[in-house]
Amino acid sequence: MPKSKRMINMGRFRMSAVSACWRGAASVFATSVMLLVGLGMTGSAVAEVPNAVPPEGTHQGKDVPQPILFPHNTHVRDNGINCMYCHTYARRSKVAGIPPLSKCMGCHTVIATDKERIKTLTKYWKEGKPPPWKKVHDVPDYVHFTHEKHLKRFVFDNEGMDVDRVSEVCAFCHGEVREMTVAIKNKPLNMGFCRRCHENNGGPSDCWACHK
Amino acid sequence: MKSRNDMNRRSFLKMMGWGSAGVALSGCDMPTTVTLEEGAEKVLPYVTPEEFVIPGIGVWYASTCLQCPAGCGIHGRVREGRVLKVEGNPDAVINAGGLCQMGQAGLQVHYNPDRLRKPKIRKGERFVDAGWEEALALVTEKVAASGGDKIAWFTNTVSGHQAVLLDAYLKAVGSSSLYVHETINNAVAQVAAKNIFDDATPVYAVAKAKVILSFGADLIGASDSPVGFAKDYARFRESPRGMLIQIEPKMTLTGANADLWVPARPGTEGVVALGLANLLIEKHQVDPAPLSDGLRRVIKQYPGTKVSEISGIPVETLQKIAAALKAKSPTLVVTGQYAQGHAHGYQNVAAAMALNVLLGNVGQTLLSGGEFPFPQLLAKRGNSRDLLAFAEAAESGAFDVAFFVNSNPVYTAPAYLKFKEKLSKIPFKVALSLFEDETTAHVDVILPLASYLEDWGTHVAPYQPETKTVSMQQPLMEPLYPGSTRGLGDVLLALLKDRLPEEYGGFEDYYAFLRGAFDALPADYKQGMDSENFWRSVLTKGVLEVPTGDRPLTAQVETVALPEYEKNTEYPFHLVPSARLGLWDGRHANLPWLQEAPDQIAKAVWGSWAEMHPATASRLGIQTGDFVVIESKQGKVEVPVYVYRGIHKDAIAVPMGQGHESYGRYASGLGVNPLKILEPVTDQKTGELALMGTRVKVTRQVKGQRKNRLVRFGGSETQVGRKLVATITADQFNRTEGA
Amino acid sequence: MSLENIFTNWSQYRKGHEEGGFHDYQHMWAMAIDLNKCTGCNACSVACYAENNLAVVGKDRFEKGQAMHWLRLERYWDEPQLEQAAGSEYQVYGANFLPAMCQQCNAATCEPVCPVAATYHTPDGLNAQVYNRCIGSRYCSNNCPYRLRYFNFYSYYESSWPEPLNMQLNPDLTVRDKGVMEKCTFCVQRIRAAKDKARREDRSLRDGEFTTACAQSCPTGAIVFGDMKDPQSQVAQSWQAHQVELGKTEQHKKNEQLRGYRVFEALNTDPCVMYLERVREA
Repeated sequence: MPKSKRMINMGRFRMSAVSACWRGAASVFATSVMLLVGLGMTGSAVAEVPNAVPPEGTHQGKDVPQPILFPHNTHVRDNGINCMYCHTYARRSKVAGIPPLSKCMGCHTVIATDKERIKTLTKYWKEGKPPPWKKVHDVPDYVHFTHEKHLKRFVFDNEGMDVDRVSEVCAFCHGEVREMTVAIKNKPLNMGFCRRCHENNGGPSDCWACHK
Repeated sequence: MKSRNDMNRRSFLKMMGWGSAGVALSGCDMPTTVTLEEGAEKVLPYVTPEEFVIPGIGVWYASTCLQCPAGCGIHGRVREGRVLKVEGNPDAVINAGGLCQMGQAGLQVHYNPDRLRKPKIRKGERFVDAGWEEALALVTEKVAASGGDKIAWFTNTVSGHQAVLLDAYLKAVGSSSLYVHETINNAVAQVAAKNIFDDATPVYAVAKAKVILSFGADLIGASDSPVGFAKDYARFRESPRGMLIQIEPKMTLTGANADLWVPARPGTEGVVALGLANLLIEKHQVDPAPLSDGLRRVIKQYPGTKVSEISGIPVETLQKIAAALKAKSPTLVVTGQYAQGHAHGYQNVAAAMALNVLLGNVGQTLLSGGEFPFPQLLAKRGNSRDLLAFAEAAESGAFDVAFFVNSNPVYTAPAYLKFKEKLSKIPFKVALSLFEDETTAHVDVILPLASYLEDWGTHVAPYQPETKTVSMQQPLMEPLYPGSTRGLGDVLLALLKDRLPEEYGGFEDYYAFLRGAFDALPADYKQGMDSENFWRSVLTKGVLEVPTGDRPLTAQVETVALPEYEKNTEYPFHLVPSARLGLWDGRHANLPWLQEAPDQIAKAVWGSWAEMHPATASRLGIQTGDFVVIESKQGKVEVPVYVYRGIHKDAIAVPMGQGHESYGRYASGLGVNPLKILEPVTDQKTGELALMGTRVKVTRQVKGQRKNRLVRFGGSETQVGRKLVATITADQFNRTEGA
Repeated sequence: MSLENIFTNWSQYRKGHEEGGFHDYQHMWAMAIDLNKCTGCNACSVACYAENNLAVVGKDRFEKGQAMHWLRLERYWDEPQLEQAAGSEYQVYGANFLPAMCQQCNAATCEPVCPVAATYHTPDGLNAQVYNRCIGSRYCSNNCPYRLRYFNFYSYYESSWPEPLNMQLNPDLTVRDKGVMEKCTFCVQRIRAAKDKARREDRSLRDGEFTTACAQSCPTGAIVFGDMKDPQSQVAQSWQAHQVELGKTEQHKKNEQLRGYRVFEALNTDPCVMYLERVREA
């Protein structure tokens, strides 16, 4: 692939800066190419979250073995459970939180108790030890990422957006979890991914907003 | 080509031909590696969390700081079950939200890598790890085989319900052998205050005074309540601004903030006090009626010229001080260990208190300590005469069993006391401690205690302002070593349960005992709440205010007898072992933050030094950084020197706190312990060890050990003509910012 | 900072602080430190160590000047404004203490010289240090007239926090690696957390709602921290009472007796820390 096209793929707005680095000036060139790019790219066909431009970029995540093969599809797609029912802290903290065992047992003391995975779960509950889940979505320690601010922007303070549709916003960074069993990382979650979304949606561009 | 995600920034730049030079890449969206591998970290959820716990947001709990006897209230920030930061509790009356560096460093006591984690039992020369059951069984067996005064307890300051249990245990075994030891103390002044004011712990209304004359009282540094006095000091300095005059042998932190810093020849503080009384009566027409006849006769013998000769303070300075004391009212005269720590220390204090009486301060800035409604909770205050008495009793074979609680007398005892040898006369010794130190090395059983950040308790601070409180201590997190360390209250309770099972067997643990005690409080404390809500409200606030009755102070200074100044040609200098807000008496030498925090005056770190005056230094031909040997009849120490004008010419000051032989990795191999070379001098009236009563000689050491070299916080000693710290006069200040 | 941003706003950026700041500052975090109340006790410095994951470097490295005390307490013996005779035998007055931390200069001398723009001015009026971007040229600390920037010459995380001391580390900020410059941040993690909380509660920040670690610990309350953009805040009122203004190299006060001043103001750094002169009975 020719070099210039590869540069274009890296992002609409940043392209101008890149070519400036290369050439040392040429804002004219930058603008014209930007226009071309702008015409070329359109949003993909997903359910539209109002006032939001979804982030771009994908990642081929690896399969992470978890202590219990937790089926998100059963819980979310088939039973319609809201993301925040389990990952409650998302609306009020930095971390969305893996649900405490008591939340699982709230249903599973009576539901599907004959299934193998529920039996494993109940064993953890009886021993008073949490299942040692493996972290799939993570950002480096030097990054400050707050779930609550993002939820506020895209869900709670977003006109026309409903709490019931929160999974569409979660999908921005976590992918279509409703179709997965255990979570798989399919967004890169690198700085470019975050920065592009911030640029498109009017998020802060201050380094210290995110770098601790 | 490789996937974008396989490339890292450096190799990408190389590919582009830029190498790793620092090219401005601002704004470029260079593909960075996905730097975190999925599944590399575990994430453990709670099993059943408390309602108020939200991961990512800290929870704050109130407790009490136990880094020194002051008993300030603290708030601990707890994230995901770990305490991360300690702040002052704004609701605590003593410190009102402030916290000194020792309080901040409490985290390093709790998380110290050298903490004891298992009980240990001596087998010959070595210790072997043991379980609590085994260790306690051995202890109770030895206690049962003996009884009465042969069972001794040697502790640091204990108060609150821990004191209640300790007293109960002593009573249960029929012993009155309780020894409470603190090297840094106000013990001589307490005895004097009891005799003169009929109150061992009067309240100093520092904020109210207009002039404070301090004879070596390091109020905002190493005192009974550093942060408490600092809070008062801030108000003292607001307009109309109070004046602080400090008379001491070497500059303390309080002295550094004085408006007038006056070095007096060590030990002559009492003479100066009487001289000032003389000037006030003779020159300033202050009515001597409050003083006894005998005292008035003594005062007449100390005119300004004579006092100047004895103390080395110029007559003009004495006159200036007297004029200041007369000009504004109320005043306050206080003393510290620098004045108390002599063979005539009591007399020095009595002379200073005579000044208070003469100036009419009793009832104005010297107030009643009040009647505490729960005397059983009052603090057992430490001193050094208990150390001496314990050593004497041990030597005579008076003890079969000795318990050491949070104290390290093998370190703090002067060498002449031969404490180690006397310890060996006690057949069975138990140490309750967090760390291995010089004392635990000689005991038979070591019981590892919980740190104060993970334990329950109540505390009544020995020195409190007019509003008195009981301070609550609660764990700020689960124990770091569950099952292997135990709280002091729990250990005492276990011993009591063994002794008096009917009375104490009903309490599952110390927490249950405390709950029972609070349930039993009179109804007016609970303000209509049920016991559960009352307990929660007290824990939330961190303190329980208690009303204190008033006991008016008397003012009876009979007379003062001060000795002649002794010149000593062989040992011409006065050794001044100085205490500082930092390492304290040596107990904090194992905390890296406090070792790295520079001494407030000399700005030295990680070691010891001797402070001396430039006149002395030039006589010896030395400068800052050179080594000297300081020798008393009892021994010698070798230290580098710090030369400055903030010390009397006849004094050599060596800070306390270093010179540990075994106290963990951070304290090892550092500096010297000046307490070791102290002479057997005690205050004649109270029997207190005279910390300042040792005479030494100083000789130059041509080559000192490199590891003991003086390392100071860099920077300049002067401002070199730049406006870094500017000063204005108090007059200007009062005019511009006066009410 | 995208190039586009620079070109659009160039004239604003160039004019700089003379016209009251090139940013539309959302906040202007500042301090007022009363040297009349500061006792030099050093509690602030240790509180900063606890809050900000500062490494203890040990005796040898301390001697080389490699200590990491973001807030250091300077102690001087001279008192030039009062007549303490230089030749007097003893210190007549005590010592002078100056708590010195990054002054968050609005016209910071460290910002323009970083080759990779790892240090810049935030919309909050803070001088930011981005650890990831820093390549360790140390030009910034060379340029700082206050000498308040500290460089990680070693990977302190390897030895400064043996287990379980590492459990004390504050997760709200990083533990810095070798080769990275660091300095006082006015406890930006606390500022961030307070702003998040205010956002969560749909309100603006209140004065006194939170403060820096040093100010919180100070036993005498000598350090006051707050937002200059909030006219009701204690710090703004203090600056106003002492007639000290931002954006000046020399203050022209109506009342010259007022105690407020800034250190090295004449160097055109425009610091956000104001000191109140020490007071002595003389």
